[in-house]
Amino acid sequence: MTAYLSPHGTVLMSALTPASVDDLARDVRLYLFRQAAATAQVPQAQQIAEALEHPVEKIHEALRQLATGKVLILAPNDGDVWAANPFCAVPSGFRAETEGKIYWGICIWDALGIPAALGKDARITAFCGDCSEPMSLEIRGGKLVQSEGLIHFAIPAHHWWDNIGFT
Amino acid sequence: MLLFRAEEHIDRWCAAHSLARGAILTPQQGWWLAHGWYKEKLNPEWRRHTLEETEALLAEVGLTGTFWNLR
Repeated sequence: MTAYLSPHGTVLMSALTPASVDDLARDVRLYLFRQAAATAQVPQAQQIAEALEHPVEKIHEALRQLATGKVLILAPNDGDVWAANPFCAVPSGFRAETEGKIYWGICIWDALGIPAALGKDARITAFCGDCSEPMSLEIRGGKLVQSEGLIHFAIPAHHWWDNIGFT
Repeated sequence: MLLFRAEEHIDRWCAAHSLARGAILTPQQGWWLAHGWYKEKLNPEWRRHTLEETEALLAEVGLTGTFWNLR
């Protein structure tokens, strides 16, 4: 069995290798990420169901499968997509603006991941975790051309997914 | 993973949350890590990184030691 990693690093030794992810889950993943990239809006189950012409229950099932494989994160209570990393479905303290669109990340790693995934320039704005002063970073031409501050990882890599919301 | 103005801000945040200081990256390291991790995410053939691939990425970014151990 091949060892795969979650989007944030935890080792997965499950049978959820790409070959065993069913076709619907793959279609959902492709649609969801393409839409998020193109529109800066992460689609939810109903929109995905209508676009792919499948019952919404099947889409929820596919989303749960993707979440189990840590391809995305579901909100704890209602099962909505919270983040299709690096794209966060709801506004957060980590904003990436590119070509007039506003994207959100769940953390500074994901905010930087947005221009990385899009292959576009972006201005990242966030707030100091301590004093809430606004800060900014800029990606241009695939390079970090302006930055300030430091990034802090509080949780060791092996435990990131113990509580991904806090991580 | 949060952004802070300076190390003393990190220490204040850690104290407020009763946490030991974790690992500190420069924004450049953060960008390299994010780029290596997410650059293929929109590729239809994207797959999760293997353990070895991720270890190699962390090492390239200069993130080594117990804190970054994945095994």
